[in-house]
Amino acid sequence: MSAALAEPAEGRMALALTVNGRSLRVEAEPRSHLGDVLREGLNLTGTHLGCEHGVCGACTVLLDGEPARACLTFAGACAGAAVTTIEGLDDDPVAAELRAAFNREHALQCGYCTPGMLVAARDLVLRLPEADERRIRIGLSGNLCRCTGYAGIVRAVMAVIADRRARGIPPETGTGRGLGPVGARIGETVAAPRAQPNRVTAATATAAVSDLATTFEPAHRFTQEIALAHPPEAVFALLGDIEAVAACLPGAVLTARPDADTVEGGLQVRIGPIAATFRGRARITRDDATLSGRVRGAGSDAGGRSATEGEILYRVGAGGTPGTARVGLDVGYTLTGPLAQFGRPGLVRDLAGRIAADFARNLGARLSGKAAPAAAGLDPIRLLVGLVRARLAAWFGRS
Amino acid sequence: MKPAPFAWERPASLAALLDRMATAPGSVKLIAGGQSLGPMLNLRLVEPDLVLDITGLPELREVRVEGETLVLGACVTHADIEDGRVPDVTGGALQRVASAIAYRPVRNRGTIGGSLVHADPAADWVNALMALGADVEIAGRSGRRILPVERFITGALEVALEPGEMLRAVRVPSLSHTTAWGYVKHCAKIGEFAHAIGAVRIDPAAGRGRAVIGAVEGPPLLLADARPLFGGRIDAAFAARFDARAADAALQAAGMADAVERHVHVTVLARAVAQAATPQPQPLPEAA
Repeated sequence: MSAALAEPAEGRMALALTVNGRSLRVEAEPRSHLGDVLREGLNLTGTHLGCEHGVCGACTVLLDGEPARACLTFAGACAGAAVTTIEGLDDDPVAAELRAAFNREHALQCGYCTPGMLVAARDLVLRLPEADERRIRIGLSGNLCRCTGYAGIVRAVMAVIADRRARGIPPETGTGRGLGPVGARIGETVAAPRAQPNRVTAATATAAVSDLATTFEPAHRFTQEIALAHPPEAVFALLGDIEAVAACLPGAVLTARPDADTVEGGLQVRIGPIAATFRGRARITRDDATLSGRVRGAGSDAGGRSATEGEILYRVGAGGTPGTARVGLDVGYTLTGPLAQFGRPGLVRDLAGRIAADFARNLGARLSGKAAPAAAGLDPIRLLVGLVRARLAAWFGRS
Repeated sequence: MKPAPFAWERPASLAALLDRMATAPGSVKLIAGGQSLGPMLNLRLVEPDLVLDITGLPELREVRVEGETLVLGACVTHADIEDGRVPDVTGGALQRVASAIAYRPVRNRGTIGGSLVHADPAADWVNALMALGADVEIAGRSGRRILPVERFITGALEVALEPGEMLRAVRVPSLSHTTAWGYVKHCAKIGEFAHAIGAVRIDPAAGRGRAVIGAVEGPPLLLADARPLFGGRIDAAFAARFDARAADAALQAAGMADAVERHVHVTVLARAVAQAATPQPQPLPEAA
C-alpha cells in the first residue's frame, strides 16, 4: 500500500483504486463488497445490487477490464485494481453500440438488470464474434431479467455481434492476461482489523419459541432407519425418556420442559464451515400400543434469520434377529431463510444421515449401560449450554 | 445480505500465510476468488473473525508441467483454464469443464483450489478432478503432503485439511490420446449447481477406467475400477456394453434410495460414456 495513504478510520481499510479512469483513495470496512464501496462510498449508483450472492448478475462490473461480480469481491480483494462501472462506459464504442441496439430492440423495461446486462453483453461481443443465438443465451444466463423475457436483449446482442463481424473486427483473446482472479494484485498487502461488531443484543433477538400449529405440510420428506442390538420394548422405553434422547442426539440440549409432552431446547448443526444453532420447542406424542411416536418441533437460529419446522414420526419394530430392533424414522421439514437459500435438500439429508448414525450409536451405548461417547473435538453441547445460559441471563437482565 | 464484521489480511508469502493461520486467535477462513465463500459470508452462514486473502501469493498462481503432470496453483481461475492460458495436457478436457462452470463473471474470479476446498458435492472440479485421478498438494508449517482428490473430499463441504493446512496446488495427470473422456452434467438452469454429474476416464488399450457419479448427497461416488459398469471388461467397444443396471446397483449400494434420482444419475452417466466414445473433439461450449 502506498505511503501516501493516510491512516484509515478505525475498523476500516484504505484502498487505492482506479475507478472509471480516476485514481482514488477509498476507505471501507473489510466486510464491504465492491458494490457497496462504489454505491455508498463513491455515489456510483449505476451498479445495482440484486441478490448479493452472485446469482442475479445486476452488480456485474469490469475489474481490470473483465466482468466480475461486485457483490462477491470484497474491498480488500481488489486493492490496486482498475474498476469500470456502467458510468465509465459512456465513451466506450462497444457499449455505445449496445445501448443503441438495446434501445431499438426494446431490450429493457424497468432497467434494474440493464447495467449488469450491458457489462456482460459487452464481454460476449468482444470475446465471441461467432456466437449464435444459443451461445448468446448461454452467455447471458448469469444475468437475470424479469421484464423482457430476454428476446429483445438477445436480438440486440446478436445485432451488435453481426455488425462487428461484418466490419471485420477480431475477437479479444485475453492472451496478455496474467493468471489468477481478475482485480487481485500480487503482493499488494492490505490489512484491517475487524470493526467492532454491532450485534443484535440478546434481549431483542427473537428466539422464536413459537406455538406449534396443528396442521403442517413439510416441504421436504425423507426416511431413515436405525438398527439397534436391543429389544424393541427397551428401545421404545428409552425413546420415552426425553433427557436420555437429548443426551444421545449430537448437538442437542434441553433448556426447559413446560409440561409433560413439551420440551424447549436447541440443536446445533454443522455442515462444513456452516454452524447453525436452532432454538425452539417440540411436542411429543407416543402410542404405547404400536410402539410409535411423533415429535413436532419448530425453531429458529440465533439471529432469527433461518427458521425450521418439522416432524419426526418413528416406529420401533423387531429387527432381523430376535432381541434386536429397527427404528423407522419418517422426517418432514421446512427450512426458510439464508440456510434454505444456500442449502439443498440433499445436503440436509446427508447431515441427517450423519446425525442418525451418531444417535443410533449413542442410543446403543446407553442401552448397554455405557455412557454416550463424548463427541470428538468441539463439544457442541457445552458450547450451546454456554450460549443458552448467556442468553437467558440477558433475558432476565443479569448481564 | 451484508457479512458480519471480519478482519482482512493479505499475506505476501506462503510462509507468512501459514504463520498467520497458526497464530491468529479466533476463527480464520482463507479466501481466493471468493465465489463460493462470498455467498456464505453475505448470507452470514459463516462468520469468521479473520479472512486471509491468499491471492497476493505469487506461487499460488504458478503453473508448470512436471513430466506427465500439470501442476496448477490453487489461485488459477476457471477462466484461465477456459481461455487456454494454462498448458493443455488433457486434450481439452479441463478446458471444457472450466468453460461450463457457473457464469463468465464468476469464472473470472473463481479458482480451482477454492472450488475444491469448498467441496460442494455438485461442483464441477470436485467431480471432474476425481474422475481424472488428480491429486492435491497440501501445505502446512510442518511441510507438504499430497492426497488424491477422492481422499481429500471427505463429505459434503468437508475436506481432509488439518488445522493450519491449506491447499497449495492441484496436480492433474495427462490424458494420453488413446484415453477417452466424458463429462456431462444436468442442470435445470444453465450455470446453477448440477442436479447430476457423470464423468468417465476410460483407457481401452489398458483395459482400465474410472467413473464418477456426482452431485449426490455426500462426496461423489467413485468407481476407481469401472469395469463392472461394462460387463467386467473395458476395450474399444466399451460404450456398447455400458450396463445401466450395474450403475443403478452401485448407487443403491451407496444409499441412494429414490429410484427417480438414481435414474437421472444413471442417465447422465450413460451420456458421459457416450460422449467418451465419440472420438472427435466437441465444440467448446460456454456451458454444456
